[in-house]
Amino acid sequence: MSPRVPGAGRPRRDTLTGYAFVGPSLIGVVGFLLVPVIVVIGISLFRWDLVSPARFLGLDNYRVILTDPAFGRSLLVTALFVLLVVPVEIALGLFLAVLLHRRLPGSVAFRVIFALPWISAPLALGVVWKWIFDPSDGALNALTGHRVEWLSSPALALPSVAAVSIWMHVGYVALFYLAGLAGIPEQYHEAARIDGASSRQALWRITLPLLRPTTFFVLTTNVITTVQTFDTVYAMTQGGPAGRTDVVASLIYKEAFTSFRMGRAASMSVVLFVLLVAVTLAQQQYFRQRITYEIG
Amino acid sequence: MRKLLAALAVSVLALSACSVGGDDTGDADGQTTVTFRLWDDQVAKAYRTSFDAFTQQHPDIKVDVQLVPWADYWTKLPTDISAGTAADVYWTNTSNFGLYADNNQLLPIDDDPGWVRSVTALYTRNGKLWGVPQLWDSIALFYNKDLVSKAGVDPTNLTWDPTGAADTFLPAARKLTVPGKQYGFNAAYDSQAILWDFVGSNGGTWQNGDTFDFADQPKTEQAVQYVVDLINKEKVSPSAADTNTNGDKTLQLFTQGKLALFQSGPYNLKNIQDGATFDWGIAPLLKGPAGRVSVVHGVAAVASAKTKHKDATLQVLKWICLLYTGVTAAQPAFVDYWKKLGVDVQPFLDAATGTTFPAPVGPRVSAGGTAVTPILQQVFLGQVGVADGLRKAQDAANAAIKE
Repeated sequence: MSPRVPGAGRPRRDTLTGYAFVGPSLIGVVGFLLVPVIVVIGISLFRWDLVSPARFLGLDNYRVILTDPAFGRSLLVTALFVLLVVPVEIALGLFLAVLLHRRLPGSVAFRVIFALPWISAPLALGVVWKWIFDPSDGALNALTGHRVEWLSSPALALPSVAAVSIWMHVGYVALFYLAGLAGIPEQYHEAARIDGASSRQALWRITLPLLRPTTFFVLTTNVITTVQTFDTVYAMTQGGPAGRTDVVASLIYKEAFTSFRMGRAASMSVVLFVLLVAVTLAQQQYFRQRITYEIG
Repeated sequence: MRKLLAALAVSVLALSACSVGGDDTGDADGQTTVTFRLWDDQVAKAYRTSFDAFTQQHPDIKVDVQLVPWADYWTKLPTDISAGTAADVYWTNTSNFGLYADNNQLLPIDDDPGWVRSVTALYTRNGKLWGVPQLWDSIALFYNKDLVSKAGVDPTNLTWDPTGAADTFLPAARKLTVPGKQYGFNAAYDSQAILWDFVGSNGGTWQNGDTFDFADQPKTEQAVQYVVDLINKEKVSPSAADTNTNGDKTLQLFTQGKLALFQSGPYNLKNIQDGATFDWGIAPLLKGPAGRVSVVHGVAAVASAKTKHKDATLQVLKWICLLYTGVTAAQPAFVDYWKKLGVDVQPFLDAATGTTFPAPVGPRVSAGGTAVTPILQQVFLGQVGVADGLRKAQDAANAAIKE
């Protein structure tokens, strides 16, 4: 590719034509992403309950939420939730993908089954799981024969919700890993076999390194979706017991729509946004140095 | 709060025989459409019928009844008001109307044609009445006739007493409990049907003005302790682990014949009528040291101050004013409707006209409720002590309503 000087005749017209082509899709990005983000940042500077007139507070909302123990605890709960969910999701997804990749009989059917929770409405799944976890009439306790108060116990509530979240997303992870596996040329494995590598060595030395681009993608998107988890928590625990499952998105919802503190909810969203961007950039930094498309 | 019973509304609306007096000041330029928003679809049907009659008398005014389901109602209403797209007339309940009244969003109602005090008092703020009461609900005791007669319990005059001396309720609840199979009573974190009624019937307080005032109040504390003990110590009620996350758990147990006494409101009449396969009856709610004290909660129609057709809106309000002429007038229709189905609903009417306990009020009362709920749920689970929990809940609630 030859470097182009900005402002040179033809390339510039090309650029304009290019922009004209992406224009329509830019409308969506600007209207549904950029403008709302700016509006949220704006709202975060006000005290506003939707009904009485908004009052400008400057950065006061940020001062309040950053010293609010509930918000701090909520960030902690969210971090813990991500740690419980994402590693298991990725490991399990990879494991399933490796199994499915072997084209055993019925693997197409399993592919569909694993992806089903991911394409279903999380709120509905949350409600169904709440029934399954019900201490008296729930299927889980009926099967084990023990009464466990899954969603009311401060120790078990978050792991229970995390398990449901893993179950929902593991099929999605597996699908991406399957695509990644399909993209690894068979010759590499053949060559390794000829050189006497065991299948375990082939997995660790060939498959996993070559799956790093997939891992990067799956990790980043899953961290983002897990941090934003709302529906599952809303349906199953509403943030209880004692705030043990009160992830940030759930707290933001309550601030905005049951307490009607729009400014504070907006400032929480902005903090969450900044944290997510930071985490994503850190991941990008880490993987940029380690992604291999060829065997080195 | 729960949505109210449709059949009650229908019977209230059936009183629409009365005609509208006063001046008819419709807009001159063709037909005006007044929008009317509510959350109950059965009542919506009744309103539509009634408004057809209204339009016959006022050919220049059409009423568009808009249904917004309960689940979205209280998030959609403030957003629509802020966007200027709310209805001209809309339903509100005690918990939520203060915000709109205090922010000049409502048109005041000037004349009060003798409505039930306990209901209109809920909609009076700063010396003015802001809503036209539409429905009310009070609390009584549903009982499973088979289970009480088998246990030899008379549910019609039960008294609870935290000192135990005059307590006829707890022995009855114990008799009605079969461990693992059947519960005596529906003690649960249910503010409207259980918590506030126990607090009220012990002479306790919950609010002082708009401020929450229930911590360090011996009578309130005693009442809450009694209810929590019913669950965790006496085990005559299902565990809070079952009821905290499923508000309909006790209703389900009752209709399945696994719960003998179910203290609740008329909003569950239809559910029980449809769900129960056994004989059931309604007794007065439990009597406490301070007497029989029921929470009374109402739904009112309010008119938006932002309406573009004030005259037509007031005509509509006037029409529904006349539909609602108070419990005394509504009584025969409501009683008759259920009598035809073999149900005596008199205990609800007695509860509404007897000593009552107001549901909490204030412009930010729902923020207060959101702050209180997780803490009191822990108290009901037995994870936090009553005195400690009430103190924490009150601090959280008062902090939440201040902002």
